[in-house]
Amino acid sequence: MKIKRLLAMALSLTMAVGVMASCGDNGGAGKDNGDGKTDFKSADEIDKDSLKGKTITLYTHGGNRVLGEEKKDEDGNTYRDESYAYLKHLAEKFEKEYDIHVELKVNSTEDDIRPLLQTQDPEIDIYTSPNWSIEEWQQYAEPYCTLDEARELYGDYADTMFNDGQYIYALMPAKTYNNAVVYNEETIKSVGYDSIPTTQAEFEEMCTKLREAGIDPIAMHRIENWPLSTMNDFANYVAGSNDAYPSMLKSDTPFSESEPMGKTIKMYTEWKSKGFFEADIYTDFGVAMDSVGNGKAAMMLFGAWVVPQIQGRVPEGGDPASIKFAPAPDFGKGQYVMASAADSYANAKGSDEKEAARLFIEYISEDAQYLADSGYIAMKKGVEPIVPDLYKIIDDAVEAGTCNVLYSYATDENSIHNEEVLSEAALLEDNKYAGNLFDTIDVTKEPDWSAYDAQVEKQNKAYTEARDFLGYSWQ
Amino acid sequence: MANETKLYKVVRYVFLIAASIFVIVPLIPLIFMAFKTGAEYSTTSVLEAPKNWLNTYNFSYAIRVGKLGKAFLYTAIILTVSLALQVTMTAMVSYVLHRFDFMGKKIVMTMFTLTMFIPVVATQNLIFRMMYSVGLVNTMWSVIILYSGVGIVGIYVMLNQLDNISREIDEAAQIDGAGYFYTFLHIIFPLMKPACTTMIIINGIGLYNDFYIPNLYLNREVQTFTVALYKFYGSMSTPFEIVAAAIIIGMIPIMIVFIFLQKYIYNGLAGSVKM
Repeated sequence: MKIKRLLAMALSLTMAVGVMASCGDNGGAGKDNGDGKTDFKSADEIDKDSLKGKTITLYTHGGNRVLGEEKKDEDGNTYRDESYAYLKHLAEKFEKEYDIHVELKVNSTEDDIRPLLQTQDPEIDIYTSPNWSIEEWQQYAEPYCTLDEARELYGDYADTMFNDGQYIYALMPAKTYNNAVVYNEETIKSVGYDSIPTTQAEFEEMCTKLREAGIDPIAMHRIENWPLSTMNDFANYVAGSNDAYPSMLKSDTPFSESEPMGKTIKMYTEWKSKGFFEADIYTDFGVAMDSVGNGKAAMMLFGAWVVPQIQGRVPEGGDPASIKFAPAPDFGKGQYVMASAADSYANAKGSDEKEAARLFIEYISEDAQYLADSGYIAMKKGVEPIVPDLYKIIDDAVEAGTCNVLYSYATDENSIHNEEVLSEAALLEDNKYAGNLFDTIDVTKEPDWSAYDAQVEKQNKAYTEARDFLGYSWQ
Repeated sequence: MANETKLYKVVRYVFLIAASIFVIVPLIPLIFMAFKTGAEYSTTSVLEAPKNWLNTYNFSYAIRVGKLGKAFLYTAIILTVSLALQVTMTAMVSYVLHRFDFMGKKIVMTMFTLTMFIPVVATQNLIFRMMYSVGLVNTMWSVIILYSGVGIVGIYVMLNQLDNISREIDEAAQIDGAGYFYTFLHIIFPLMKPACTTMIIINGIGLYNDFYIPNLYLNREVQTFTVALYKFYGSMSTPFEIVAAAIIIGMIPIMIVFIFLQKYIYNGLAGSVKM
């Protein structure tokens, strides 16, 4: 009996300590000066002399901009080409100019830096682009500026930065065109095409010719789940609007072919049944990119960020410039391309050198060449943008009025509610809402759509039940 | 009877061959990969042999860029100190629990047993904060302290050994004037060598392969081998031919240990199974 009492006491004590530890002061977004403004300082307003000799640490998941692009030498061996280490070069330039050292660290995922941010380790000053919820941003990042302040400098793109409607948590100083068609021009030329067709029928005809020629038309890298999320942008192209994903809330049958999301997933699955995606399993995304670089596959339906990486993988003797980026074909509503703010830099809440960190982030936002080298277009007011070559085809199409720009949908109540509904229906994690349907068809067998149709029914039911349970509707 | 023996033999060999295949087959593509060029890796089947078995580029790249030499040094220091502390403390705790009766002995044993049911991951939020508050994160000491703890499995191995060491030896030493500490250190501890060896082998291999604790606590300059290996993994792409070479390099110390200590490993495992 005594032992039981002792154990109960020990357990209670442990739990109490745990609870107290988790109630530590993580701080909130509280930088408002009472007038709706933060203590945001532009680069000109920061006292640079007082920061001389300081060191700041930047953690980034973009290892290629620190270590150099991964390439193959003439023997086919992998090496890092340091001339592509743009962030390293920028940090060196910044140190020469301001006498502030920037220590660059590469992390593989956001989980690597999470413990440091949870303990508010002062040695982490800046970090890039984790895929976090807004609650986590509030917990780990210093509010960079208010949404209004960002709108003044970055226009409509400010709404596509990580924000909670009041504060921006990570400055995204550039813009980019999101998921479209990345392709190897030499490969599509081998089946008689000079460019990506502009209609769905012609696009599918080209895919058929590529498959007949023994070339994988599209490398998707399905072995991982994250590539499935690129379907969301294509659903916007199918819908001809930027809200296909949150608009799922409007429908009782979001996964049926009558709705943009359902139509898009069905379109992808039909492409799979026709053998338009890779037949082999790519063990790694790098191998999938290699396949486009070396002509084993012709295209990827991804963002501009993969273009320089594939260009670096074109084998010796090939022309990296043959890797191009074009708008998706017209799926019935016209040709579109999604655009958003890009390349995020957050100031860690526990940082001891917030001013120096801010100075470096501002320095980045004003270096159009660095942003162009990284595959983005500078967009800060007063900064002359440099448009990377890879955007030429899309820019020309936008200029000619044949391709329309859709801005990424801002994080609002509808998009948050839609995610909550998908989560409640157990369809959000690993992009199951798309993957469960996509995986009903086996590429090696004659397509039998009964399993697909049954899954559509199942998902529609789960989605509407979850939506009704949570009491959400389109606002 | 003779037929039964024959059938038993056949089943035994079939089972052992199947088990060997399960272990050996995954190693073959790993070895192939380690000698392939990056271009070869992405264009050939994993079961296809490399064109040039003399291509050691991946090994030298892994050592140079992954700083594997430094990582091995840190791993060796961490393992040596941790295992020395762990074995000594486990032996002391076991000696006390085995040889002495005292109030609360059962509670102590129960508490040690209870720790078996708490997953390491579940406690790390709190422990990380504690380690951080005393400035041990990103130093070898954080990992050494966590690895040096006394575990119930070690205690049982030691208690099993102590069962076979007669109490009369203790009494004889004490009649000759030896104190408890002297008796433990000079008489009993040397007799516990087989149990200590078993612990060092079982825990040593486990700690050498551990990734979770060093990755959580050693995120910067100080890295163990497993963390250094992980640094090759990119957020999107990974040069697997180099990772394969690094894994093979990492297997070498374990193989050397196995070759030299296989007698102790078999005896140690047999001893712990007897328990």
